[in-house]
Amino acid sequence: MKVTVKSWTGVATWRWVANDDNCGICRMPFDSCCPDCKLPGDDCPLVWGACSHCFHIHCIVKWLHSQPQQQCPMCRQDWKFNNK
Amino acid sequence: MAAMSPSERRLQKELMSLMKEPPPGVTVDGDQASQNLTLWTVHMEGVPGTLYEGEKFVLQFKFTNKYPFDSPEVTFIGNNIPIHPHVYSNGHICLSILTDDWSPALSVQSVCLSIVSMLSSCKEKKRPPDNSFYVKTCNKNPKKTKWWYHDDSV
Repeated sequence: MKVTVKSWTGVATWRWVANDDNCGICRMPFDSCCPDCKLPGDDCPLVWGACSHCFHIHCIVKWLHSQPQQQCPMCRQDWKFNNK
Repeated sequence: MAAMSPSERRLQKELMSLMKEPPPGVTVDGDQASQNLTLWTVHMEGVPGTLYEGEKFVLQFKFTNKYPFDSPEVTFIGNNIPIHPHVYSNGHICLSILTDDWSPALSVQSVCLSIVSMLSSCKEKKRPPDNSFYVKTCNKNPKKTKWWYHDDSV
């Protein structure tokens, strides 16, 4: 039997690969966005610290801006962005 | 229902989980909290086998719209304020995570656990040495107090 594909529709799903399900700051799922955003995805990305803890970028930046010392909310180590 | 602010969304999540799985001896007044998410009343029982066994305490949590970036204001209220070296007779608590050591990764549940553990490790029931002076001179809001955290033993 010979089949000719006349048309096809691709469907894909995506998710962030993080070591946790929820952001430790806003408690929203990583696959959803931070509470200040409307849509998940590249506009509300995740970011990792050198300590390996992960947050929505908007959440961790908001926290670091409110603090005199830049520490990870989870482990209190000095916060450094991990550019992996 | 009106759209919830980021702080209300987080508080709503915390309220649900605290009502579903509260730590032992801790109960939140869910009706009151869900009517006004910025003011919670939490009931706490003294842990069996500690100096506070059989006692009942009431904690009040006040949240600003900056929560969880801003720590909650937590005080004991009601007519049974625990006699403890870090608890003033007006209900103010000297506990570093409530001010300098606050982190947005903490929660109402973790604050309750810290307070339960602070009470449970107490060896002798007594008020802080500067209680009467502090209570006369302090601001109503304990977060306005410049706390000195000098005793890590209880």
